[in-house]
Amino acid sequence: MNIWDSLIITPFINVLLFIYNLIGQNFGIAIILFTLLIRLVTHPLMVKQIKGAQGMQDLQKNEKWIKAQEKYKGDKEKLAQEQMALYKELGINPFASCLPTLIQLPIIFGLYQAVIYAMATTPIDLLNLVRHIYPGLLKVETLIPLNNRFLWMDLSQPERLFIPGLEFGIPVMVVIVVLTTYIQGKLIQPPAANPKDQTAAMSGMMNLYMPIFMGYLAYTLASGLALYFVASNLVGIAQYAMLGKVNWANVFPFLKKKDEIVVKGKKINR
Amino acid sequence: MTRYPDHPFRSGFGILSLSHRPHGMNKRKITLISTVILAAVLLTACSSGLSGSSWPGITTNGDTFYVANMAHVYAIRATDGSQVWRFPEKPSRTMYFAAPVLVDNQLIVGDYQKILHSLNPDTGSENWTFVANGPWIASPLVIDSSIYAPNGDGNLYALDLSGNLLWKFAAEKALWSRPVGNGDTIYQASMDHSIYALDTATGSVKWSKNLGGAVIYSPTLSDDGMLYVATMARELIALNTDNGEILWQRKFEESLWSQPALHEDTLFFGDLGGKAYGINRLNGEDIWAQTLTDPVTGKPTVTEDSVVFATENGTLAALSFTGERIWTETVTGKLYNGPVQFDDKLLVGVALGESPLVLKTNSGQNIWSFIPPK
Repeated sequence: MNIWDSLIITPFINVLLFIYNLIGQNFGIAIILFTLLIRLVTHPLMVKQIKGAQGMQDLQKNEKWIKAQEKYKGDKEKLAQEQMALYKELGINPFASCLPTLIQLPIIFGLYQAVIYAMATTPIDLLNLVRHIYPGLLKVETLIPLNNRFLWMDLSQPERLFIPGLEFGIPVMVVIVVLTTYIQGKLIQPPAANPKDQTAAMSGMMNLYMPIFMGYLAYTLASGLALYFVASNLVGIAQYAMLGKVNWANVFPFLKKKDEIVVKGKKINR
Repeated sequence: MTRYPDHPFRSGFGILSLSHRPHGMNKRKITLISTVILAAVLLTACSSGLSGSSWPGITTNGDTFYVANMAHVYAIRATDGSQVWRFPEKPSRTMYFAAPVLVDNQLIVGDYQKILHSLNPDTGSENWTFVANGPWIASPLVIDSSIYAPNGDGNLYALDLSGNLLWKFAAEKALWSRPVGNGDTIYQASMDHSIYALDTATGSVKWSKNLGGAVIYSPTLSDDGMLYVATMARELIALNTDNGEILWQRKFEESLWSQPALHEDTLFFGDLGGKAYGINRLNGEDIWAQTLTDPVTGKPTVTEDSVVFATENGTLAALSFTGERIWTETVTGKLYNGPVQFDDKLLVGVALGESPLVLKTNSGQNIWSFIPPK
């Protein structure tokens, strides 16, 4: 077993299966609770990351910053020097938002892989899963096979809801994944400073591509992962909402007026 | 004014940060697309477990070997290992886990996409299909003119040789092991921890027994009506086929990923701790134990004068019936089942290796290797 497996995957699998056992062997609920738990554990990192990003955002409204951008437009080296000086002067760490994200990444991929491992659908997958289980914590004989049924889904297979009279199955989870991914992207998108704002344009593109991409994954992969995507999206929205970083006007246009005030920076009223 | 990305992009599976400093929209687009592609590669690489989850299943009629491996079923000439045909001809998304079965000039093989195929063994053309609700992990058993096919949906389907459903029996969980039978009764072990004795004519349950753990590999049936089965509870259990009564059961320290092979009164099998055993089938006591180091998997193969054990790390170890090592050979890849004996040769199915099928002499020397054409 390699370091990645020993430090991340194996503990994650055991926690996931421990939760599964604890709640009466319901793998769907276990995935939701496990996602919630990991998001709670990484919440302080997320807060740091948002604060770092906010610092960078505020910096761009700084007069000195704007002047430096205009003054050294054609001299990248000098511009970089000026930017570094400004970071130092204002006490801003440009990597403040990157580091927490980098720390979170292996956790997120570990969570994703743990869910995949636990949904072993073939003999070799099951053999690999058994090897990851701590015998002192969990008993393989009572654990295997995992109960993969959740609502109408077999969590180890791509989800389709079959309705009497219809010859094809409806990919309900795909729709939910696409919607929650889109809504999450829109809600946490900060208001654009101006119509030509390239960052906003990029966020707009991302809000279009990501739901399609996630929808494709949900359509083709096991529905346990689709459930994880949905849980992750909803928990993510809740986390941002708790931190006051949700831009409701992006989804509920009737709140827009209030947000315009925020954009102009005259009054922050959230 | 160029603005840097001042907030991370949040995906459904987590948070990725675009922390670079792009100079224009093109670079941003490239980065965005690259990030999505990277995420796609990472996610699909993590999730495409099936690509490494299958091992070759082999059967033969003497002239031709039939191998179900990964995305195809191959017909291979016994003389030189060249391909006669493959099914499907073009690459497909499905996988094959179960060894094909030859019966009445049909090759019966199930795939991971729920379809049981009947193929013409000479040409590979399809005769008929039967669709279940789950993947076909185990091979079917054929007795007389009936096919007994266990499926991942938990049903054992009894079909006639034209693929028509005769009856089905529903276990509580998936069926991953091939049933065994002796004419009137078939014995089906299940992931639901139980073994069922079923009437071959009607599918009605004669008896069932909870074994205390899921069963991956098939039971072994003796001529005098005993069943030997290894479970995920690390137990080897002997049952009376008349009534399911447990005659003896023995717990092992290491996990069992093996089907016992029977030779006279000795059961041969191994554990994932790397031990091979010769056990008295009448009382479950050790006759001998030999350390092979690597995890022992699948059903050992009994030849005229030896028993050949396969290990997960690619080692084939031939031991005498009394446990002395005769020879050891290694193949590149992983082994999850013992070799198939053909005349005085051994056919070895290799998972995750360059060649899924290697023909060896009885003393372990390579004769040829089959490498699937692209």
